[in-house]
Amino acid sequence: MTTATLPDLAPSPMPAPAALPQADAAPRPALIEAKNVSVFYGAFEAIKSVSLDVSTNEVVAFIGPSGCGKSTFLRSINRINDMVRGCRVTGELKIGGQDIYASGVDLVTLRRQVGMVFQKPNPFPTSIYANVTYGPRLQGVKKRQELDAIVEDCLRKAAIWDEAKDRLHTSALGMSGGQQQRLCIARALATRPSVLLMDEPCSALDPIATAKIEDLIVGLKKLVTIIVVTHNMHQAARVSDRTAFFYLGKLIEYDETSTMFTNPNQKQTEEYITGRFG
Amino acid sequence: MSQLSATDSAGFPSLTATKRGFPFTGDQLLALAARGAGAVVLLMLLSLLTVLIHATWPAIKTYGTQFVTTSEWRPNELQVPKRNDAGKIVFDEDGEMVQTTLPAKFGALAVIWGTAVSSVIALVIAVPLALGAALFLIRIAPGKLRGPVSFLIEFLAAVPSIAYGIWGLFVLVPLLQKYIEPSILSIASHVPVVGERFHHFLGGDTGLSGRDMLCGGLLLGIMILPIITAVSRDVLAAVPVQQIEGTLALGATWWQSARQMLGYAKAGLFGAVMLGLARAAGETMAVTMVIGNNNQIALSPLKPAQTMSSLLANEFGNPESDLHRSALIAVALILLVMSLSFNVVARYLVIGRGPRRAS
Repeated sequence: MTTATLPDLAPSPMPAPAALPQADAAPRPALIEAKNVSVFYGAFEAIKSVSLDVSTNEVVAFIGPSGCGKSTFLRSINRINDMVRGCRVTGELKIGGQDIYASGVDLVTLRRQVGMVFQKPNPFPTSIYANVTYGPRLQGVKKRQELDAIVEDCLRKAAIWDEAKDRLHTSALGMSGGQQQRLCIARALATRPSVLLMDEPCSALDPIATAKIEDLIVGLKKLVTIIVVTHNMHQAARVSDRTAFFYLGKLIEYDETSTMFTNPNQKQTEEYITGRFG
Repeated sequence: MSQLSATDSAGFPSLTATKRGFPFTGDQLLALAARGAGAVVLLMLLSLLTVLIHATWPAIKTYGTQFVTTSEWRPNELQVPKRNDAGKIVFDEDGEMVQTTLPAKFGALAVIWGTAVSSVIALVIAVPLALGAALFLIRIAPGKLRGPVSFLIEFLAAVPSIAYGIWGLFVLVPLLQKYIEPSILSIASHVPVVGERFHHFLGGDTGLSGRDMLCGGLLLGIMILPIITAVSRDVLAAVPVQQIEGTLALGATWWQSARQMLGYAKAGLFGAVMLGLARAAGETMAVTMVIGNNNQIALSPLKPAQTMSSLLANEFGNPESDLHRSALIAVALILLVMSLSFNVVARYLVIGRGPRRAS
């Protein structure tokens, strides 16, 4: 079925670091497989029987009008929606071949493997250094040298090292919105995830900061599989390999991005992409 | 309308203000009334301070800084046997003891000590419980439980202190006297080597009344628990959900994420604790009923003590002299300044900077 790129999700005191998936390995195995996934908030069905799969090292964009359920679906992939009272997921959602909603799944291991970047930059009110090392510290990394190396590595990957290196021990809240968001990406990378979920990562940013994040997404797909929710159709077209269009909780169409934006199958997709509704 | 009739050549209405009422408009009256109300509040505080400082003056003039550095509190003159330089009691020719008179003396250190220690005991008991309860309400309690429990906590914060005092007197005092304090003493006396001294230090030789510093501190802790819980809950509720999701998304466990949450809200939580401290320091009736009212500085929590407010409750009704009255008012002034500074710090921390919403 799949090559296991994920460590066992059963609770373990010290999970092994994920092996970095090979770039451009063909044929690409499906890393995330959703089958008939429905998400309920109480009695309301926010996601209606969605099936899709995401391959290793690709960028998938979720698009659709507000309230279509794309964020809800994204938040089900690292089970951060468990926080929401009355939220319930049915169907089958597998990552690396393991059902993440099975009983006995360790959420801590799952969330280290499936990182998340939020809509509004949410750095902790501590230093830049402490933000990046938060995840590794939780896992018990204590050695100064090791932490220093992680900080530099992750900040470089998130393309913010040059701006941050001279102020590592100053408050993260002193950075601009775009810098904060890249810091949050660096922070998410520090747990060495296999998947990075991004929930409208640029909606609070100006065009220049947005362009930087988009470049980053394209660069990062060598390291992680990325799912990005966006309201910006051009962004989806620029950064993603495949695009999924959600409408009223249903997955209307899911195809190669180039196909979706030039020759969509469904009329609704075409109307949304051309701006006739939404 | 008059202001519309005066137009310039372009047809734009004149912007010159015109009088709409006589002699004042409603707006002006309301503004005047609001200013007056604000001024009255300030004047009340000012006059309170002025009166207190004025009435305190005789005590300050007599004792100066000694008032807060000595602990002797003796409202009446005292007849004691006269002693010679060697410390021996002096007898006259008939073999009678010679009496000498000590003047009245006022030093507030013992009651300052009493207030400080009982407040600290109260905080040690109340703060961990309050933070735990607030975390429970915000992070664990199911929605159905949250409302009723929150209501109960706010209700407890509004119970009159005399009710806590009666409960303390009839439940807490006997409980301490019969069971808890004897157990403490028995454990203390079994400590190797220093056991006997420890037992003596705690006051085991003089008998237990149950009305002591420990009881006062415990009762204060119970009394300030609801207010600290309620404010902490509001402070924690104001922590942005993105912060909590941020920690969970990085693989934080429940406890790790809660710790980050407490850290984020630390300024507000400190404010909540300060509000509790201000209440503990100023609390009067309940403490007076259970603390034993003995003007002494005893290191053992099992010995009776006295706080500033309980001293006032006990003695202000019928002072022995003008100086006594002045000294009591000085104690009230110290208490006022202390509580005021706690409150100012707390409000600055809760409202001024950190996450919003005070009580």
